[in-house]
Amino acid sequence: MKIMNCPLNGPRNISEFVWGGEVRTMPDPNGCTTEEWADYVFLENNTAGIVREWWCHVPTSFWFIAERNTVTDEIIRTYPAGEVFKTRVDFAPRPKTQEGTR
Amino acid sequence: MAAVNALQPTDRLRRSFVYRILQANGAVFEEINGGAVAMRFGASTESEVAKARRLGLADLSPLPRTGFKGVGTVDWLTAQGLTIGPDSNRAYRQSGGELAARLAPTEVLLLDSLSGDGALIERLNGAWGWSTETPRKPIGYPMPRADSHCWFAVTGEQAPAMFAKICGVDLRPNKFPEGAIAQTSVARINGIVIRQATALPSYYLLADSASAEYLWHGVMDAMLEFDGGPVGLAAVRELSSGV
Amino acid sequence: MNGTGVNGAGMNGAGRLPAPAGRLIDRNRTVQFNFEGRSYEGFAGDTIASALAANDVWLLSRSFKYRRPRGVLTMAGQDANTLVQIGPEPNVLADRRSIGNGISVLGQNYDGSLENDRGRWVESFGRFMPVGFYYKAFYKPKSAWKFWERVIRNKAGLGKVDVDAHHGYFDKQYLFADVAVIGGGPAGLSAALQAAEAGAEVILVDDTPELGGSLNYARFDGSGEMARTVGGELRAAVALTPNIRVLSAATCTGWFSDNWLPVIAGDRLYKMRAKAVVMATGSIEQPMVFRNNDLPGVMLGSAAQRLISFYGVKPGRRAVVATANADGYGVALDLIEAGVAVQAVVDLRPSVAPSPLAKAIFNRGIRVVTGHTIAEAMPSAARDRVAGVLVAEITGEGTFAQAAETIECDLVCMSVGYTPAGQLLHHAGTKFFYDRASHMFQPGVVPAHVFPAGSVNGTYNLDTVIAEGRHAGWAAAKDAGLAAGAEPAMSGEKGAAGQTHPWPIFPHPKGKDFVDFDEDLQVKDLINGLADGYDNIELLKRYSTVGMGPSQGRHSAVAAVRITAKETGRDIAGMSVTTQRPPYMPEKFGHLAGRVFEPERHTAMHHRHIEAGAKMMVAGLWYRPAFYGPSENREQAIREEVLSVRENVGLIDVSTLGGLDIRGADAAEFLNRLYTFAYAKQPVGRSRYVLMTEQAGAIIDDGVACRFHDEHFYVTATTGGVDAVYRQMLFWNAQWRLDVDVANVTAAYAGVNIAGPRSREVLQKLCDDVDLSAEAFPYMGVRTGTVAGVPVRLLRVGFVGELGYEIHIPASQGEVVWDALMAAGQPFSIRPFGVEAQRVLRLEKGHIIVGQDTDGLTHPYEADMAWAISRKKPFFVGGRSIEIQAEKGLTRKLVGFTLDDPQAPVPEECHLVIRGGAIVGRVTSAVRSPSVGKVIGLAYVAPDQAEVGQSFDIRIGGGRMIEARVVPIPFYDPENKRQEM
Repeated sequence: MKIMNCPLNGPRNISEFVWGGEVRTMPDPNGCTTEEWADYVFLENNTAGIVREWWCHVPTSFWFIAERNTVTDEIIRTYPAGEVFKTRVDFAPRPKTQEGTR
Repeated sequence: MAAVNALQPTDRLRRSFVYRILQANGAVFEEINGGAVAMRFGASTESEVAKARRLGLADLSPLPRTGFKGVGTVDWLTAQGLTIGPDSNRAYRQSGGELAARLAPTEVLLLDSLSGDGALIERLNGAWGWSTETPRKPIGYPMPRADSHCWFAVTGEQAPAMFAKICGVDLRPNKFPEGAIAQTSVARINGIVIRQATALPSYYLLADSASAEYLWHGVMDAMLEFDGGPVGLAAVRELSSGV
Repeated sequence: MNGTGVNGAGMNGAGRLPAPAGRLIDRNRTVQFNFEGRSYEGFAGDTIASALAANDVWLLSRSFKYRRPRGVLTMAGQDANTLVQIGPEPNVLADRRSIGNGISVLGQNYDGSLENDRGRWVESFGRFMPVGFYYKAFYKPKSAWKFWERVIRNKAGLGKVDVDAHHGYFDKQYLFADVAVIGGGPAGLSAALQAAEAGAEVILVDDTPELGGSLNYARFDGSGEMARTVGGELRAAVALTPNIRVLSAATCTGWFSDNWLPVIAGDRLYKMRAKAVVMATGSIEQPMVFRNNDLPGVMLGSAAQRLISFYGVKPGRRAVVATANADGYGVALDLIEAGVAVQAVVDLRPSVAPSPLAKAIFNRGIRVVTGHTIAEAMPSAARDRVAGVLVAEITGEGTFAQAAETIECDLVCMSVGYTPAGQLLHHAGTKFFYDRASHMFQPGVVPAHVFPAGSVNGTYNLDTVIAEGRHAGWAAAKDAGLAAGAEPAMSGEKGAAGQTHPWPIFPHPKGKDFVDFDEDLQVKDLINGLADGYDNIELLKRYSTVGMGPSQGRHSAVAAVRITAKETGRDIAGMSVTTQRPPYMPEKFGHLAGRVFEPERHTAMHHRHIEAGAKMMVAGLWYRPAFYGPSENREQAIREEVLSVRENVGLIDVSTLGGLDIRGADAAEFLNRLYTFAYAKQPVGRSRYVLMTEQAGAIIDDGVACRFHDEHFYVTATTGGVDAVYRQMLFWNAQWRLDVDVANVTAAYAGVNIAGPRSREVLQKLCDDVDLSAEAFPYMGVRTGTVAGVPVRLLRVGFVGELGYEIHIPASQGEVVWDALMAAGQPFSIRPFGVEAQRVLRLEKGHIIVGQDTDGLTHPYEADMAWAISRKKPFFVGGRSIEIQAEKGLTRKLVGFTLDDPQAPVPEECHLVIRGGAIVGRVTSAVRSPSVGKVIGLAYVAPDQAEVGQSFDIRIGGGRMIEARVVPIPFYDPENKRQEM
């Protein structure tokens, strides 16, 4: 069983963690095309090499980011999400024309 | 057998999550802070202390505890007079014997001393409130720790070996110093393990209160090979005295 | 028979030897056991095989395919020859399992009795069973397999499974080490000592009862003193080292990522984690291949040495030793000292390499025949033991002269070479390469944190082995982060050359020259497999099954490679043995399962339900009352519980509902982003429905959000969904960084719903600090207050469609409030109701249950929940996806239905909605409603049949079609007057 180093709890058996998918940027939900949105929701890059992924330490529900080599299965680095997500995210209001058009 | 008019957990509003198991094991209860605590299990205090030194499981669930969480928590608690160090997953002992267990940079679990007088806990719970100033100063939020988690003590020489049967973190005294905290999986449920400041290995184990009966039975089963068993608060106090 | 083992050397020359032979047995403690129905005695410390051998019993089991008699091969638990059955336990290694008083042991793979197997006919049929036999023989015509399968299955398999066997108590334990050392031979002992000296916490795992490895049975000098001295010193040093923990009679069965090492000892599986691991697993002596090389009495030289040294058992009366290295001469010396008449040493080599051991044999005048091999072993009259060998001159690689000398013997020892016991290194990813100089496979690149030492690493000279062990221990301690001190010297000849013969394989025209004893594979089977086109060792393995039996190729893999190389004309130096995978030794399911950990969650009122006769059901980990009363009264109980709520007052435990405290300046904004509805303007003191969708727009949870403060929402979630909801909330806010704190307080609150027209009257009796009147505390209002002296959160919600209050109570006081409500309700004939009644009640109101009335694809428009979507918000999770799907148009829609035919049966969940022979939807919930008086339900139908009044067809059990009609929901109290009373 692999060991993963949780930035909060230290090295633990990988069975204490769940995977949360690749770290990706959400396209503008009100401005992007349907295809761009579908790509974001459904498609994983499945990179052979170093990926940045979300992992959660289940006993503490602590989310963090891990850099992992999918070829060698090495965990290169783990760090708190705050290193990447530093500022508050806000969404632009919906364009007036779309409001309640259905 | 307890005397006919002896205190029973059902005489009080707050009840331990395992009180039926304690009763079935012949516990003698005493009132502490509005709850009935299993003080001993009929045996002589000496033999129960001996058991606790070998391997004992005690239910401390009725003892006072609380928690605070969110941005500003540690600053606010410090302003309330608590001493909390910078490291997470470490329990900081307070002047009254209480433990401030820092579970995360912005989360603290507070466990009363084994006297259970609850003074600090009550004061903190009473001091917290929604501020009316704007912008509101961040002080964190209270957590219902007395109800979300059961509180057990696992005591004695064999405790690390017993834990190794149900928990994947190395809890041996030389690897898990006094005050160390492991938030991990214990018998397949989430648990908080805190090493007590005692000469013998002794740990607090807190876990989902709804799983308390399951956990009690699971720990008891793991204890069998070491001849461990239930012990009361009196024995746990005895082990912790002089610290 | 009985008791011959007790009196030292037994009759007929077999039996016990005097001490110091028999280091593992306690001659003062006799143990009685049964084998094949006969009673025997052995000593404490004996294995089944050694105790039987001491009683001159050599036939232990029969082979898997041809039912050939089999006996001791390795005495090391490495082979499948000695698999026996003890009561319900099959496949016990007789040369490893200790005898216990009174155990009953049986051989395996025979019909009738071990000595007279009625299935022996199979062997004479053997020439009709070529490799690939099953593939070839039983599939033409295709239906033939149906017949043959039963015959074959009856014959196949190892041992007998007793399906009624009692479950054993197995468990698991974690172990932690700085340095783990696998193998307690000279390399492992040295490594452990060196690592411990460096301050490492060392765990030394050895699969024998006593540390020492080959030092405990093999001979390193003419007198045998060296092994005794070195072994004694190393063992004593280890015993005096407090930071070495020894696990004896323990097997490390695998290597997994980050030095995760399963170790089986008795009924316990240790899960060991080491920072660094020293692999000192040694090597495995290899058998020769010649005709009848599987007869009982033909064994490895090291097996005979183990019998003598460990158990004080004389392995035979007259022996022939076949060898190609110095160790064979050590075997001969041991045999002579044990009183065995060594008839000849047959050395495969053209001449004997000088060694102290060979010299000692020559000095004793033992006959040595060089350049010869055993061409064939001959069975005794009873065909159950070797009676002699034919010795012939070697004429080329694997060939021998016709002329042969017969030598009578009851013991044949094979000492022709070794292969590294590299299974664990294999697991760790190390490849093995053929080394021409030593004719052995040697480990290639070893991964980080793993350090091989000793003969697994091709090192045989004892001094060098010890130095290499020291060095590996040092390197491992250093790797584990300890100040290991100066690097120990690493020098000396490895001594691998001359240990192993390049071709100890002598095919016989009449066959029975076994390469693989487990699978009864002869040389020609492999050759035929290669001829069939499976000319790669990995393919040949799968086709012929070589190396796939219980011993996993430990004695056959190298020979199979040699044969493959020769037959395909390839250079063996470019080949490798087949990949080894965990486990190294068989593991029981009990070991893997361990103790059963099945977490259960009980609500604060759990025992009250049981006391009230509730039939409990499982919801995730929770236990909930399904209904109250005996199972046979199920329908009636549910009906009465429903009516009690509709007409009077009922009480249900809703503690399992999830509870989340969402607090902070951005609490409303946070809910806006996570749920479909709008929360910014929700007043304090009110609750609002919450519906959660995932990124693709599918519904994943629902509940209510109660606003207790401008900055505090208490949000409920479904029983099964709350943990995922909580995790999602934290996941999103790890990115959004809103000023909000999320706490999962599910377990902290017990909950009850007191519902029914008289619920207010009951609650009134226990609550004097909240005005419960409809005006002061209307439907969808929320309050905090005190009930029965307990501080609670009160929610007026309408899941069951009656006046009612959800009371959320600190869990430690849940039982108190339950008792108080039941007592206060007694004058009103209050009744507890269970999940089943609640399902009926909510269906009558048309409320969906997420996961029952929705599936993994259901979006809110399909579920007819457009009302729950706010389209003005900039964003919510799933919003864009729902919009895209809605624009594409619906493919199905959830509708309420009734059955017009009052006699029609109740459809079941997942009964299909059929139109024109095609499936267009399915029933998700249906019940005969006590309140409405007819069958009601929810179903997905095609969008164009979803208008009220339209009818559709449901195919129910037995294929019958019934007609349903779309009706408006709620079915009951359509104007929702009752819940707002």
